[in-house]
Amino acid sequence: MKRSPILGAYAVAYLLFLYGPILILPLFAFNDSRIVAFPLSGFTTQWFGEMWADANLRKALGNSLIIALSTATISTALGIFAARSSVRYRWPGKAVVMGMIMVPLVLPEMIVAMALLVVLLTIGVPLSIFTIILGHVLICMPFAVAILTSAFQSLDKSLEEAALDLGETQISTFQLIVLPLVMPGILSAFLITFTISIDEFIIANFLGKGDPILSVYIFGQFRFPAKVPSMLALGTLLVLFSICMLAIAEYFRRRGIAKTGGKDSGGFL
Amino acid sequence: MAKTPSQEAKTGWLLISPPAIYAVLLLAAPLATVLIYSVMTGGRGVVGLPFTLQNFTDLVQKPVYLSVMQRSLLVSLLVTLTTVVLAYPIAYFVSFHVSPSKKALWLFLITIPFWTSYVIRVSLWRTILGYNGIVDSSLIGLGLTDEPVNILSNGITSMIITLAHAYAPFAVLPIFVSLEKVDRSLLEAGQDLGESRLMTFIRVTLPLSMPGVIAAVLIVFIPTVGDYVTPELIGGGKVPLIANMIETQMLKLQNRPVGSAIAVAAMLVVGIVSVVFVLLNRRFIGGSK
Amino acid sequence: MTSEKPTMIEMRDVHKYYGDYHALRGINGTIRAGEFFSLLGPSGCGKTTLLRTIAGFEDISGGMIMIDGKNMAGVPANVRPTNMVFQSYAIFPHLTVAQNVGFGLRRDPRPKAEKQREVDEALEMVGLKGYGNRAAHALSGGQRQRVALARALILKPKVLLLDEPLSALDKKMREQMQMELIKLQRQVGITFILVTHDQEEALVMSDRIAVMFEGGIAQLADPETLYRRPNSRQVADFIGTMNFMPAKIVAETGDLVEVDSQGFGHVTLQGSQCMGTPGSNGSSIGFRPETLTILFENQQAVDRESMATVEEVVYYGDMTYYDVRIDGMTSPVRISMRNVFGRPVLDIGNRARVAWSPGALVLFR
Repeated sequence: MKRSPILGAYAVAYLLFLYGPILILPLFAFNDSRIVAFPLSGFTTQWFGEMWADANLRKALGNSLIIALSTATISTALGIFAARSSVRYRWPGKAVVMGMIMVPLVLPEMIVAMALLVVLLTIGVPLSIFTIILGHVLICMPFAVAILTSAFQSLDKSLEEAALDLGETQISTFQLIVLPLVMPGILSAFLITFTISIDEFIIANFLGKGDPILSVYIFGQFRFPAKVPSMLALGTLLVLFSICMLAIAEYFRRRGIAKTGGKDSGGFL
Repeated sequence: MAKTPSQEAKTGWLLISPPAIYAVLLLAAPLATVLIYSVMTGGRGVVGLPFTLQNFTDLVQKPVYLSVMQRSLLVSLLVTLTTVVLAYPIAYFVSFHVSPSKKALWLFLITIPFWTSYVIRVSLWRTILGYNGIVDSSLIGLGLTDEPVNILSNGITSMIITLAHAYAPFAVLPIFVSLEKVDRSLLEAGQDLGESRLMTFIRVTLPLSMPGVIAAVLIVFIPTVGDYVTPELIGGGKVPLIANMIETQMLKLQNRPVGSAIAVAAMLVVGIVSVVFVLLNRRFIGGSK
Repeated sequence: MTSEKPTMIEMRDVHKYYGDYHALRGINGTIRAGEFFSLLGPSGCGKTTLLRTIAGFEDISGGMIMIDGKNMAGVPANVRPTNMVFQSYAIFPHLTVAQNVGFGLRRDPRPKAEKQREVDEALEMVGLKGYGNRAAHALSGGQRQRVALARALILKPKVLLLDEPLSALDKKMREQMQMELIKLQRQVGITFILVTHDQEEALVMSDRIAVMFEGGIAQLADPETLYRRPNSRQVADFIGTMNFMPAKIVAETGDLVEVDSQGFGHVTLQGSQCMGTPGSNGSSIGFRPETLTILFENQQAVDRESMATVEEVVYYGDMTYYDVRIDGMTSPVRISMRNVFGRPVLDIGNRARVAWSPGALVLFR
């Protein structure tokens, strides 16, 4: 490898820029001052207590978990159908249909949210946690489809034929061969969609009826300077949680590739 | 089990139908509705006939709309430029100067921040850039300035910093992928033919990585055009962008036709920019062969 | 050779279309019980498609396939009396070796211990005794192939289908597995159908070979007939090397054909040496490089003899390949000579006496 000190220094600076704000989270979450500014004044865990004492936060967390679990389950299930169909079968109109399913990836989220909102209001569907789930599934499904498509693609078609050849039916082949081999992909799709749903703001803000949702709650609280330290405490926990989920998802994705004897061809994006 | 093509197509359709129906009902239908609303007449809380293009002519003629659209485009373009220019060297570094076994780790490091809460990241910049915030207190502490700089009071600058940070990983990955595809022996050939390292980069590497740069431009530009959170939190609602204007029209003023027209206009802008860049991409790919 | 054996597979006018693409164009032929049969041809000739229609992975668009006297129309792969060894081996990566081999016994109602014994026997048969608990993904290429064989044979199929099973192995391993497969086939007595693009492999292993081009069977015969009496220039070209010389049919009387050709002059050929339909114009004669001999100083030709000039010499150690121009010929022909002790290797430009025999010639018309 060639060594280039200038590029190396730039890379470090870039990572500092990327991680700077995230490193500030724990720094000031444990800082014994309500004002978020240097110099640091001492160690405290009071912000974590203050954060947890807020009943609204606990309610928001509960709602967010319901939304994220439902979203992850539904979008992963729909993703399995879409990925299986597009990888394994040839059918006319595939490009158009798959394009439509993936389009939320390249559409500003605000437009998706507003279009959905207008229709829901017009046909008189009352806004609730359920409507947030509807919107979240829409934007999470493309991620699930992308992850699952690569999982199904690394599955050798002749494995299924071998199972059929050895006397199994289509259904038992799916259970005995396909499902176990794509399971890491399914788990990783579930974790990723869960993480996206927990963090999502725009749909949670506009398609809900005012029930507290984690991201909306954080958005509101940051407007009050007095609440910022406890939000930093909450942010610290959320970032830790996200990184754990990601690491687990990446672990499963790699194990899936190792299992099927494929080659690693990149990460989630 | 053996299948004739039509049997296979039937199975494929059967499997795709749940996600496809979901996307039709909850995405295609709403987008179509917005499209139709945008050419209807409306006022506060009502949508009606006749069909008209008035909403669109208003967008171009009335300064209220036009200034927001222009500002949005300006911010998006500046963010895209900043992000891509900052991302190129890091993508180049990871592709050319990091040993293959460590590349995955570097990419993982670069993508992690993207997966943490967007609202939290944006909010953090508020506390970092704000009056007597982290930047101000650091600068004063270091004796570089006496007065708080309060970058946050400059809405557009702080929005650009925030958005450039938020979308950084989006720009690195596509550039990295295209750099990885550059055949290393071409570079050696370039130097073998007497080019300097810099000239090899300009004449070989840079053109070959253009598809990645163009993908990066699109992938950053599209979401920033529709960003809602940053103008609200960083701009304090005082420098609204397209997304905020859509909200105002749709919800606060209850004028759905105008709101829809803005949404359609935003999609058109995204569409036109995408097409232009995809065409540019074709030219580069065509030119490099 | 094996004509007394009963029919195992009968194919009658089998067609297969993929959309507009005509992959199989009227396949006819029978495969006999207990024979080692090969489908040989270049890639894209339809040999794998034909194998997959026999296995039941592809429907046929027309015609009929019978296995052991039963029409296979509408019979899915999982109930056909065939089992397959896949090109990629298709070893289930999440199961152990024993679980892979015993996979097809899952629905077998016999007690577990009995099934376990059968798995052990199958592993022993393919030389993998004691490998049962290994993880499948940790096996080498050759071991994977043995597992695939054991897994297919444990169900005692009437026909074993092998889709280019040796193509992923290196040369040495491939030659070893060829021998093992032949022994295994004799031991179990099951009909083997092998798909291969390697003509040498097909010649070495098969009782009979179907040579396929462009969706049809060009010739179906035993290896010796295929090699010595190919029925078309295309088949002759695909199997081994053959020299071709333009020739003119002078007279056809009964079973005898009189031919005039460059260099060889006027020769009379038996009917069995003559391919194609009688009476057609434009013909050539063909002969294998080893049917010509460059004579020693005092050696006498058994049959005919011509003078020639050496134009190219390629030395291979055990063999030498010569391109020689026989007097009267407009282009050189290739001769392969074994380098037996005492025989000098000739140089370019040398004159040589070449022995040949009309019985080794084949006429294509």
